[in-house]
Amino acid sequence: MAALSEEVLLVLKKVRQRKQDGTLYLMAERIAWSPEGKDRFTVSHLYADIRCQKISPDGKAKIQLQLVLHTGESTTFHFSNESTALKDRDAAKELLQQLLPKFKKKANKELEEKNRMLQEDPVLFQLYKDLVVSQVISADEFWANRLGDISNADPALYNNNNKQEVGISGAFLADIRPQTDGCNGLRYNLTADIIESIFRTYPAVKQKYSENVPHNLTEKEFWTHFFQSHYFHRDRINTGTQDIFSECAKQDEKGLKSMVVQGVKNPLVDLLSLEDKTLDEGYGVRTAPPSTSNANRTVKESSNAAIIKRFNHHSAMVLAAGSRKGETPTDQASETSSTDGNSKDSDFFQPPVKKVKLQEAIEYEDLQRENRIKTVALNLKKSDRYAHGPVPLQSQHYTTSQDIINSVNYIQHEMVNYKPNLTQVLSSTAASSAIAALSPGGILMQTGAQQAINQMIPTEVQGELKHLYAAAGELLRHFWSCFPVNTPFLEEKVIKMKSNLERFQMTKLCPFKEKIQRQYLSTNLTGHLEEMFQTAYSKFHIWQTRRMMRKT
Amino acid sequence: MCRFYEEFDAVGRQVPLPAGIYNLDDLKDFGRRKGWCPYYLARYSILHANIVVYSYHYLLDPKIADLVSKELAKKSVVVFDEAHNIDNVCIDSMSVNITRRTLDRCQNNVDTLQNTIHKIKDTDAAKLKEEYRRLVEGLKEANVARETDVYLANPVLPDEILQEAVPGTIRTAEHFVGFLRRFMEYLKSRLRVQHVVQESAPQFLKDIFDKVCIDRKPLRFCAERLQSLLRTLEIADIADFSAVTLISNFATLVSTYSQGFTIIIEPFEDRTPTIANPVLHFSCMDPSIAIKPVFQRFQSVIITSGTLSPLDIYPKILDFRPVTMASFTMTLARTCLCPLIVGRGNDQVALSSKFETREDFAVIRNYGNLLLEMSAIVPDGIVAFFTSYVYMENIVASWYEQGILENIQRNKLIFIETPDAAETSMALEKYQEACENGRGAILLSVARGKVSEGIDFVHHFGRAVIMFGVPYVYTQSRILKARLEYLRDQFQIRENDFLTFDAMRHAAQCVGRAIRGKTDYGLMIFADKRYARADKRGKLPRWIQEHISDGSLNLTVDETIQLSKHFLRQMAQPFRQEDQLGLSLLTLEQLESEEMLQKIAQIAHQT
Repeated sequence: MAALSEEVLLVLKKVRQRKQDGTLYLMAERIAWSPEGKDRFTVSHLYADIRCQKISPDGKAKIQLQLVLHTGESTTFHFSNESTALKDRDAAKELLQQLLPKFKKKANKELEEKNRMLQEDPVLFQLYKDLVVSQVISADEFWANRLGDISNADPALYNNNNKQEVGISGAFLADIRPQTDGCNGLRYNLTADIIESIFRTYPAVKQKYSENVPHNLTEKEFWTHFFQSHYFHRDRINTGTQDIFSECAKQDEKGLKSMVVQGVKNPLVDLLSLEDKTLDEGYGVRTAPPSTSNANRTVKESSNAAIIKRFNHHSAMVLAAGSRKGETPTDQASETSSTDGNSKDSDFFQPPVKKVKLQEAIEYEDLQRENRIKTVALNLKKSDRYAHGPVPLQSQHYTTSQDIINSVNYIQHEMVNYKPNLTQVLSSTAASSAIAALSPGGILMQTGAQQAINQMIPTEVQGELKHLYAAAGELLRHFWSCFPVNTPFLEEKVIKMKSNLERFQMTKLCPFKEKIQRQYLSTNLTGHLEEMFQTAYSKFHIWQTRRMMRKT
Repeated sequence: MCRFYEEFDAVGRQVPLPAGIYNLDDLKDFGRRKGWCPYYLARYSILHANIVVYSYHYLLDPKIADLVSKELAKKSVVVFDEAHNIDNVCIDSMSVNITRRTLDRCQNNVDTLQNTIHKIKDTDAAKLKEEYRRLVEGLKEANVARETDVYLANPVLPDEILQEAVPGTIRTAEHFVGFLRRFMEYLKSRLRVQHVVQESAPQFLKDIFDKVCIDRKPLRFCAERLQSLLRTLEIADIADFSAVTLISNFATLVSTYSQGFTIIIEPFEDRTPTIANPVLHFSCMDPSIAIKPVFQRFQSVIITSGTLSPLDIYPKILDFRPVTMASFTMTLARTCLCPLIVGRGNDQVALSSKFETREDFAVIRNYGNLLLEMSAIVPDGIVAFFTSYVYMENIVASWYEQGILENIQRNKLIFIETPDAAETSMALEKYQEACENGRGAILLSVARGKVSEGIDFVHHFGRAVIMFGVPYVYTQSRILKARLEYLRDQFQIRENDFLTFDAMRHAAQCVGRAIRGKTDYGLMIFADKRYARADKRGKLPRWIQEHISDGSLNLTVDETIQLSKHFLRQMAQPFRQEDQLGLSLLTLEQLESEEMLQKIAQIAHQT
């Protein structure tokens, strides 16, 4: 009965299972049932194992709830408390409805994902070992930062990671097959997926839902209204205004209009621009198109027109719902590209889209001479920066070009007037020592020796150093990501991270340092690492003193 | 006046445009940089360009041709591409419709004219005198120009009037305005009819002479006289005077051509017999009138299109003698098109859009099944065309009731053309987006609609085109009836022949939308049993006709699906440039080789 320590969310008595009375427990992570009089669960399912729940229709004598597992098995509970059976069942149903979706996606997927990442990325695995296994930071901390980072960092690279969102079936409304219940009524079966689809496709309905449920209507009433509404039956024309969905229809209409007003980006499908209005008004065989005002249209005609409109709208919404996520970056890209070239008077310039589309339309691939190697155009915002390359930011004195020219002139001048003064040259010993100092390996050419580091140090030490660098880098990343410290949570974290750093330095870095000092006295391999730690510490101290000052 | 015009006038003509290809946007851009008026720059550049690509109207519509194309060199080669509809363009440019609104606006125009004349008379009477003198001398300049063949002739400016002076009755400005008023009042009285009237031009002239004593001669000068008056009064805003210009053009046309035009006055629209909306249609029935000046002036005129079939009808209706006629097939490295004629549903019900069966539920259901099954096997985009908008609306509604559309939605998204162009553009863009992102979509559209005329469905944007029914034109219209009568009397073209010809060119136009290149491929499904008949099939372009096998003339829906699956599977194989080389793609050397030239000569079927 270890489970007793779990949080119990709901307890329902008088629930029968296999003709046996008992009590149903809904806990944080599982649902369980124990027969009456015993303190042991004979039925226990983790939420993650449950595929779906089914309930008996209203009006049936037996009030039941069925759980279907992923394995295909099912368990049926019969609520037998006469007075409150229905309420009990609904309470259980509601709670399950909230809980199940959470577990569906979460539980196993995340673990799998972490496992996969560790397997695929040896560096990460090493890091995990260094930091988590050796208990420098906790696993949660490790992942919290990592998962978030990756999904932000590069969706293309970690495509599998950042799972592509599933679109919406075009026929989701058709999938809600109404069934006749035998007595002149219709029954609709709604699943969470369908509701999700409806909400994603028609945000107006979602808004209505959140406005009305549960204060004005129950969920069931809401959906009943929905299916009875003119909105759902697209061929009917709006007549009454008492319907809560008539507003939705209006909003949709507005949305459609705004889409139309926005116009199309591709000029080749823009029928408005394709039309040549070369004929003046009054000329031509065809007269003005018959007026489309509703006045002289029959009811049937306008309802037909409504269907067509709704189909266009529906398809557009489904399409938009499917690509909503991916759309934003491309939109931005196209916007920036258009603003780069010609920002203001797009009236006078061709919008780049048009040019590109025209080019596409008039070029035939198979008429191209041969497949030229495709090159990527270098898009430079500031070409001078490209020409100069990155300049190291050093605290050195920069010389202006004028200075350089001056000094060149000066040197030239000097050289012209140069006369070797052979009597006052260096002594041969001094000269040879100078040569020695300037040749590779000499005192003045110390930098040249660094290339030999991979030859001087055995590979295992190198490997160890690499790991140290990776681990330290990770820790430092955690540390620096806390800045600017603007929430209490971050404050806490930054303090913890600092202690992590110190611990790392004590347990990992110092032993390593001692080890190499024993073997190679001269090379200071850990200098840079220590420097990084020092920088972090000083940052921390600055932050801390500032915080103290603010407090006092 | 206008900075840009002044600047262009000052230097624009002296400085040649740098060699290159310019579209209107480029010209606008260029004009902006130089500070020149792009409109005049374009008009000026037309005369110096090696190749000018523009709309037919610039050459065929006398109102525009007079401004833009008048001075094109006689030796220019004129190519009418995509000319399958050229007769309609010709007819459009010569037809006039007059409604009550036109006359009301015309009334305003005439009032303004009168006021302006009064004002000018007080301030600058000499100007009007000068005009009068010019009119006495007649349109000699124009006559000289025409005789020496400097300009493209204007069909609204008939030969006769060039040799004469403007008649005295309309020579002074006030008289002319009075004359216009009288003419306008007459038209107003004609619009006050209760029943439909149809009459010929001579009948109309006789009636106008009897009722308001307007002679034929001054009517003929009406258009020219009005232009002259507008010039004299220095009215800048010509657009405001479109109504009176329209009336004067009508006057000139009706008095000039005794044949080839008909006048129909309808007191109301057929659909709404209760609402009075009288219209006077002055309808051209002879396309040769508009195109005649082009044939006369230019040395070579080439009429070409991918769907110009049957060829021999065009010389008849355009009234010219072709020097050479040739119809080419397509040389293809692989049969990349697959025309199929679906004549029956799976339940053996004959599929047809003919009037008697178009409301039949069995037909509509079978059409729906065809689309449904196709949506399951065709990748990416499908375009379906219906014969008319009303027909499409009805079918969509009953498909919706039968739940067919819902099932189609399982496979693809559905987009539908609407009468509103902006809405349709949006639907089109979404359609392309859906094809692009792999979801696949169906576009329901209308033959003769904007989509069928202007939009290409290259590659995956259209892997199959389904033509539901034969797109016959609405035959109950009086204008069409008059035209058919005229064709029968003048050119011995039977009504049915012309209607079928017209329907088939539109059908070919629709299905041709899917194949826009040799690497492209697509299914063409003709869903009507009437397509199997020789008189229909024979009017399809050769390049489609020769791929219709006898076995695919009367398929059921199931058979169609089988054949389509097979075709699509074959076409989906990789297709490289090397596969085409030497067959449908020639290198320069191959093109110049003697052997190939012979082959080409062979392929071109001289008729």
